Amino acid sequence: MTEPIVRVSGLTKVFRSYRREEGLAAALKSLVRRVQTEIAAVSDVTFVIEPGEMVGYIGANGAGKSTTIKMLTGILTPTSGEIVCNGFVPDRDRTRYVATIGVVFGQRTQLWWDIAVVESFKLLKEIYGVSDEDYRRRMALFDTVLGINAYLHQPVRKLSLGERMRCDLAASLIHRPPLLFLDEPTIGLDIVAKANVREFLQEINRKEGTTVLLTTHDLSDIETLCRRVIVIDHGRLLFDGPLASLRDRILPVTSVVFDVKRAPEAVELRFNGLQAREIASHRYAVDIDRRAISAASAVKEIVNRFEVTDLMIEEPQIEEVVKRIYREGIA
Amino acid sequence: MNAIAVRPAMSFARIGFLNMLAYRARYYVGVLTYLFNVAVYYFIWRAVFRHSPTVVGMTLPQMITYVAVGWTIRSFYFNEIDRDIAGQVQEGRLAMNLIRPVNFQTVMVFDAAGQSAFRAALFTLPIGIVIALLFPVQPPASIAALLMFLVSAVVSFFLVAALNFLVGLIAIRTKSILGILRAKYLVLEVLSGLIIPTTLFPQPFRSILFASPFPHINYTPAALYLGKVTGAEAGRLLFLQAAWTVLLLGLGQIVWRRSQHRITIQGG
Repeated sequence: MTEPIVRVSGLTKVFRSYRREEGLAAALKSLVRRVQTEIAAVSDVTFVIEPGEMVGYIGANGAGKSTTIKMLTGILTPTSGEIVCNGFVPDRDRTRYVATIGVVFGQRTQLWWDIAVVESFKLLKEIYGVSDEDYRRRMALFDTVLGINAYLHQPVRKLSLGERMRCDLAASLIHRPPLLFLDEPTIGLDIVAKANVREFLQEINRKEGTTVLLTTHDLSDIETLCRRVIVIDHGRLLFDGPLASLRDRILPVTSVVFDVKRAPEAVELRFNGLQAREIASHRYAVDIDRRAISAASAVKEIVNRFEVTDLMIEEPQIEEVVKRIYREGIA
Repeated sequence: MNAIAVRPAMSFARIGFLNMLAYRARYYVGVLTYLFNVAVYYFIWRAVFRHSPTVVGMTLPQMITYVAVGWTIRSFYFNEIDRDIAGQVQEGRLAMNLIRPVNFQTVMVFDAAGQSAFRAALFTLPIGIVIALLFPVQPPASIAALLMFLVSAVVSFFLVAALNFLVGLIAIRTKSILGILRAKYLVLEVLSGLIIPTTLFPQPFRSILFASPFPHINYTPAALYLGKVTGAEAGRLLFLQAAWTVLLLGLGQIVWRRSQHRITIQGG
């Protein structure tokens, strides 16, 4: 058994802030005494990641994804709990630790805004002490997969979001880090750019064994990249496991969609504990819980009762799964 | 304490230099501002000297030179590390400096050094020449005075950088330091000896001031240029200037280390 590359236990981050009351009197009072409020952005999160894994870290807005990433990258100090990444405690050994990781925040750039991209790369080369030879090889790889040479001589502010993201990804990997953190790496990108970014990540993971932890709102990122997902909500860990079992656990529901010649009466729509709902004219859907009834017997039931002209079975989409988690939590 | 890695540090200086090239309008406005300031103080001092031939042991040409030298080196040592850090805190860009394996103070100081190197060549030098042509400025008192002045002006940069770094760190706690920045500019211009020579202050205020780092920003290099201080006294001032710089840079490291756990990155 290899040593995990990321080990997080009991991780908690509490933000303290001062409540601002309305009105002049309250404002004056706050000069003397301020009301402190505490918000636990992340509470008691525990997981480990093995080398070479690609893990999706998902949750609704404000669930605590970014806060977790910021603690894992040494930017924020945990209120309590422990983190060990690459053998370092991130906030304690920050300077040495960050030399061994790559980080991309989709909403920001780590490149210098007003100067040519290539100057940023040259600076990063010096910071990480990359040799001339390695640098050349690295840049060649980035150009083959990401095609960055086309805009190396432009300042970052003149790049499109997709171009900028490609450069940022390249920048985060210039020193061949074994561990890569991505916070919303595909946010705002068009389909082509997204596909390009995903391909690149797959290639880096396959060829260099780079371990990747990524947060995203785009679940097709997760579906193409990650076999394992961690779901957090309101700062708490809800689920940690394979994507498929998340789907089974949350939505063990398959829909049978069928078309009919003659529209049935409302009373006919409820049968044997199943409920058909109209989704279009002459088209109905029945959601079945496969723990209770098999898809085959549900189809038989439907065919017996209605004059079916067409029928299809739909597996739940991961989007649906996650929407349901965000809405209802995990039972 | 982290040893400063020279190559990355110089790379940050290079970035600072390149950044300065990005905005031209600011450059031209800057030149005019300095000329205007020197002109204003030139006329003020001329009026003052109408009533007495010397003020605190300085003649009118010396005082004009003091003002001109002061503003000229200000164009070099000036930096906005504090405003920069405050902006990083407010916009959450600070995170980007934290994910790099380089000491934050090194990054900020050398980035500013690159900007100052740019200023020295393309800003301070032309300003100095234009001022020398427009106003009756005296040459340095001696070769030794000139050399000591140059060294002192460079140390001034690091002294101001160390101070501004500390001021910038306040933003980590308070988020906004706009008020502090405005106050700092006013106070520093007076206390550094830029607007009036520090020796003009009455006792005991003058002694208190000379026990602080502030006069070393502007008074010390200007006095060295004029030859107002020489020999052992010059050495003492240079030593004090350097000692304050090292002390404040060290203090910056300590405060930075203590502030880090208070960082909250806004947004994202």
